[in-house]
Amino acid sequence: MERKKWYAFGTREVVYSALGAALYGVLSFATNMIALPAAGNLALRPAVCIPMFFGVAFGPWVGFISGFLGNIIGDAISGFGFWFWWDLGNGLMGLIPGFAASMIADYRATRSFIIADLFSILGVIVGMGLASLSEMWVSGVDLSTAIVGYFVPAALTNIVNGIILVPILMVAYAAIVGRTGR
Amino acid sequence: MLIAWRYRERNTLIQKLDPRARWIFLLAVMFSVIQFWDLRFLAFFMGLSLMYYFPARLTWKETRRVWTFVLILVVVIIGINAVITGRGGPTEILRGAGHVLWEAQWAVPGVGWTIHPIITVEKIVFALAQMMRMLTIAILFIPVAFTFNPNHYGVTFRRLGLPDKVAFSMDLAFRFVPTLARDFSLTLDAQRARGYEVEKLEGGLLAQIRKMAPLIVPVTINAIVGAEDIVNAMDLRCFGLRPRTWLHELRYAPRDYVLIAVSAALLGGAILVRTLLRVGDFWVPDAVLRLFGF
Repeated sequence: MERKKWYAFGTREVVYSALGAALYGVLSFATNMIALPAAGNLALRPAVCIPMFFGVAFGPWVGFISGFLGNIIGDAISGFGFWFWWDLGNGLMGLIPGFAASMIADYRATRSFIIADLFSILGVIVGMGLASLSEMWVSGVDLSTAIVGYFVPAALTNIVNGIILVPILMVAYAAIVGRTGR
Repeated sequence: MLIAWRYRERNTLIQKLDPRARWIFLLAVMFSVIQFWDLRFLAFFMGLSLMYYFPARLTWKETRRVWTFVLILVVVIIGINAVITGRGGPTEILRGAGHVLWEAQWAVPGVGWTIHPIITVEKIVFALAQMMRMLTIAILFIPVAFTFNPNHYGVTFRRLGLPDKVAFSMDLAFRFVPTLARDFSLTLDAQRARGYEVEKLEGGLLAQIRKMAPLIVPVTINAIVGAEDIVNAMDLRCFGLRPRTWLHELRYAPRDYVLIAVSAALLGGAILVRTLLRVGDFWVPDAVLRLFGF
């Protein structure tokens, strides 16, 4: 199978970016309605696996747009306004796992799960890190509040969601990937 | 599940403005306000934001949820952070002793740490400035979801300079939302018919997340399978070979040029005031000091 360049953005990427963003927006909203009990102020968002998975399956740009635009859509549906740095952080959560796309050939292999999870974790750290640190120049909070108040709760829940759900989606995707003929 | 856009046509001046001009204004004000800690400047930007917010005619019922969230965030995280620790932003200003209102010293048993909270007039003013800054940004951006037509996002960002494909992707994403919401609803019903109890997900945190898979996986995989048809249809129509046209064309009206000029003046003025005049740093009003008896 011919491998595409990681920065390619053709018709397929256009459609999957849109799909990923819409899915992330809808599932964020929907799974927020189904309240998962969590500790303290931790809000569980299982839908964060969508930009990570779309990144892993379709490349970094698809992952980035899925996260960035998906977060905007989720906020638009929920009436939460527009929070640029958090949207960007969500975009990075999809972009960075996208760099794993070229390393993954078999979506069922344990090695692929490990690669996808490692890149997803890195994506969460960078994405939520940027969004949390942005509060230092936007809201003026100090570093410890940015880390303890914003980064740790957001990153922890997103990592847990990602490492569980991304491999499950990869296995399901493996079943249909042959059918697409791409 | 019914997903409804929060947007509706309200026949307001805000909605009559070109969306590009509005985005330029919003970003200009945001990048201006984050440069200041002086309450006078922050009050000006807050007033400006309110002048933008109120004509949007949003009701309390519509915005109650987001305001609750924002107020909790602002008051609890930022307010307490600023008053108790006093750090963040212009830290060096707050390192001085300041005008102390209250202080204490507590030892943490077992570890030998000492907590030494000090509340000063400066910290209170700083907390107020921090809250004003965050509220100003919230006031600016909360109306986005309620007043921007989702069908215009694609063309708006294309005309703001995004590549055609990315703008089309945005446009397509907003169109996918109702279909995917319906698919999610059907999947949820189907899984419930099979005995899946989404309201009673048992087990630990990890088990609960894993149990969301029967909802997330079918919706995602079905959507991917369906998307292949869209990709093929677009490829057959030679998508991406030429610049595309848009169903809805945006045209600037004179009022939009005025708004863009105001936005540019605001941002340019803010940068000028901060960099050349070096005005707008943290400032404690004498009236506040007198109020606390200093």
